[in-house]
Amino acid sequence: MQTKFLLPSSAKIWGWIIAIPAFVLMILYLQFGFTFSFLDYAKNNVQKISFDNGLLFNIQYNNFTDEIGSILLIIGLLLIAFSKEKDEDERISQLRLESLLWATLMNCLLIVLSIIFFYNELFLKIMAYNICSTLILFIIRFNLTIYFERKKYKDIK
Amino acid sequence: MKNTIRIERAILNITQAELADKIKVSRQTINAIESNKYVPSTILALKIAKVFKKNVEEIFQLEKGD
Repeated sequence: MQTKFLLPSSAKIWGWIIAIPAFVLMILYLQFGFTFSFLDYAKNNVQKISFDNGLLFNIQYNNFTDEIGSILLIIGLLLIAFSKEKDEDERISQLRLESLLWATLMNCLLIVLSIIFFYNELFLKIMAYNICSTLILFIIRFNLTIYFERKKYKDIK
Repeated sequence: MKNTIRIERAILNITQAELADKIKVSRQTINAIESNKYVPSTILALKIAKVFKKNVEEIFQLEKGD
């Protein structure tokens, strides 16, 4: 069965190569405020302004570590999540769909819980993690399902 | 839906893996179909029937509640 929107299985390794460093970078950025100083941008030497009117075309000051990190992370996670398995077939497509449904539901549940329990800056930080939490939940769930399927098959054999 | 793939395989004397290779699906899929955990698509059902040289209805039968 042909599945649309899936990348060749060789894309997966590239996904891991991009996603792991980007993930570490984003954790460092969000938890410890780590930035690369060469990605600093300041228009006419303005000092750091916490929230200027934030369109790309009129920002005064920004450090682009988080922009680059999060874009790389999303690209990496997409490559991992939506590349074909080596033995892709219709049942694996079904498992993929089920995992995606599960991940979306779990993510919504987590968002609702964070809306109730977390406020102000902590909530903003959680929303930053939320950018790629669906993909991460999906990758974990899908790979675990496939792993247990293959293991079960080996046990029977 | 129930099926007689396990019996048909025994008649032809082929393993799950060999059947999987013939119809180009993963081995786990054949295993899941045999243990009634997965209902194959029509295309896959027709391919399986072709391997066993039988009609689809002889291999796959509806059950109560389907």
